[in-house]
Amino acid sequence: MDAHIKKVYVPMTETGFYILLCLQEEMHGYSIVQAVEKMTDGDIKISPGTMYGSLSKMEKDGLIRFVREEDKRKLYRITPLGEDVLNLEITRIKRLYKNVKEHENE
Amino acid sequence: MSDKKVTFKLFTIADHEEEEQYLREMHRQGWRFYKFIIPCIYIFEQCEPEDVVYQLDYHKDGVSRKTEYIQMFLDFGWEYLGEVMGYNYFRKPVSKMNGEEEEIFSDDESRMDMLDRVFKGRVVILIVLFFTLICPQLILQSRMDSAINDMVFWMYVVLLALYVWIFVKFAYKYYKLKQK
Repeated sequence: MDAHIKKVYVPMTETGFYILLCLQEEMHGYSIVQAVEKMTDGDIKISPGTMYGSLSKMEKDGLIRFVREEDKRKLYRITPLGEDVLNLEITRIKRLYKNVKEHENE
Repeated sequence: MSDKKVTFKLFTIADHEEEEQYLREMHRQGWRFYKFIIPCIYIFEQCEPEDVVYQLDYHKDGVSRKTEYIQMFLDFGWEYLGEVMGYNYFRKPVSKMNGEEEEIFSDDESRMDMLDRVFKGRVVILIVLFFTLICPQLILQSRMDSAINDMVFWMYVVLLALYVWIFVKFAYKYYKLKQK
């Protein structure tokens, strides 16, 4: 993983994280938004400009790839590089969570 | 046929928020944005006054991505109005938002990304012109002595002031967003 990817994506925005998490399955922008709303009880609503911008940036950086088109919507899926980034984030968040728990128990 | 109204309004490069407010205010007064004659000259159609959010996004994607791009906004209930000089215009009535006001960007990072695109697409060329045309011409004209040179000199002074004004404004907006 090169320095640019690390600098831009680690740590990642909440939006970016959920997009990668969802794209472990083939999805398009709007379906990701609906899935994220459901996962977060409506707390995180991603807007179209943000979604479009994130998808194009991630595609350009090779974190996700275009799979096929369906009714004018592009479906994407995570790449091995994207999975590496996602796993780094998951490890970081798990550690964060573990430390929060320990702190609470003190 | 409904009534039309033509207005002239100049917004410089980093003024998209001001322009959004302007279009929203017009709609509130019963004038719906219809189209541009040329950039800066707006045509409005008379309509029922309504609170409608207008949003601008700077994107210069090729035609191949355009359908996908517009579809994304349509999925979220935004109406696409067209593109002028890289700026895409969208609107959505407040009544169709679920209680909270929506924007086309939901985090500051993507707002910053848009400013970056504007910088690359619009500001860089101005900086190049500034240093390769305006500054050298200004120095050149100031060294020559005729009525015509004087006039040209002052014309470049005005251009210089305008460019500096645009740069300062853009830098200020950039800085403000970065501070958030």
